Amino acid sequence: MDKEQLSTEFELARPQLKSYILRITASVEDMEDIVQDTYVKAFTKIHTFRGDSSVKTWIFTIASNLAKDNLRAKKRWTENVTDICREKALANPNYFSEIMHIQQTSQQANFEIKEHINFCLTCISKSLPLEQQICILLKEVHDFKVLEIAEILDITEAMVKYYLHTARGKMVTIFDGRCALINKKGTCHQCSELNGIFNPKQNFEEEKNKIAFAKNADNPDKQHLLDLRLEVVKSIDPFNSNGSDLQLHHLEHNRKIMENISEKKS
Amino acid sequence: MTNLASNGKAVTIKKTFSRETEVSIDIQADKSILWALLTNANDYPRWNTTIISIDGNIAQGEKIKLKSTLDPKREFKLSVKEFEPDNRLVWGDAMGKRIYTLKTIGNELTNFSMSEKIGGPMFPLFSKMIPPFDQSFEQFANDLKKEAELIQNTKL
Repeated sequence: MDKEQLSTEFELARPQLKSYILRITASVEDMEDIVQDTYVKAFTKIHTFRGDSSVKTWIFTIASNLAKDNLRAKKRWTENVTDICREKALANPNYFSEIMHIQQTSQQANFEIKEHINFCLTCISKSLPLEQQICILLKEVHDFKVLEIAEILDITEAMVKYYLHTARGKMVTIFDGRCALINKKGTCHQCSELNGIFNPKQNFEEEKNKIAFAKNADNPDKQHLLDLRLEVVKSIDPFNSNGSDLQLHHLEHNRKIMENISEKKS
Repeated sequence: MTNLASNGKAVTIKKTFSRETEVSIDIQADKSILWALLTNANDYPRWNTTIISIDGNIAQGEKIKLKSTLDPKREFKLSVKEFEPDNRLVWGDAMGKRIYTLKTIGNELTNFSMSEKIGGPMFPLFSKMIPPFDQSFEQFANDLKKEAELIQNTKL
């Protein structure tokens, strides 16, 4: 592979790479650093690419290792991250004025339920052990095969299956207990709360029923509901959507809260 | 113990100063899946109906705290004495040790065996207070088999 080929392949992979690293780190700044470092490292190590994997797999391997280094010292988030951060937002007198400012100055500040679902899954997935989070994102959001994920993480295919199985099981349990979109007894109503604030004229139930997993909430197959949720996430580019700036602000807010909590505990 | 059948049936040998229980079962899964299940402490309660909780990190030299359905009021403080990835795990305390071994016996086919020997000079004084392990061992082995085969056979 020559540098021109690598450059072409990298630019093709860049949008997905950015989304992937953002979802792992929850930080735009860290994502930009890691993507840039991946670019530099790929070019520095171009001579080591032997063609055993696709270029995209090789790029994601470099990026994943850099992301793991970035997160090594950081604690995982808790399952109730959205509850904690909601309370902090409500207690912060500046929070809503910041949101209003974004809405007034950005073309990408609409609130859409699907985008909040993507944001929510990003936060919840950070409560999984890192290997589980990486496996579920690579497989279910970025369409890598089990063999490719094994190469990216330098583990066996059997271990990828183990991580996917446990990650999916954990996420099914978390969402079943929390998400009011699929469980009337769910404890989290952020989608409806925020939709009510940003889109007061919208009929939430009508909007909710446009989303496959919410419409099928009565389906007892929780794994299928998770698949439908992951389809929503897959369809969202967190940097190029109607509500990108709004959701990225939410994410940055949550990241700061959770890192603050971790620092206080250690 | 030798000549133990790999059918998931536990066997106990009682002696004056010791008691040893062992179970062996063949599992249609790669042994790295079994190893992952056996060494992820906080994942145990999800798949193993004999374990209430394990706190700590299952790794060489580490200490763990285990609660079992066999004696729910008791917390066992154990040391991980041997940790040979994908092959052998041993943990225990002064009373005894539990040994887990994994052997590949075919294509994605693993033999799992688990044994525990308890005893000592004072064993005859308290042996009757320790419940039999057979049913718990059989349940453990079958839970492991069920979960590992489910993971192995998941279509992805």
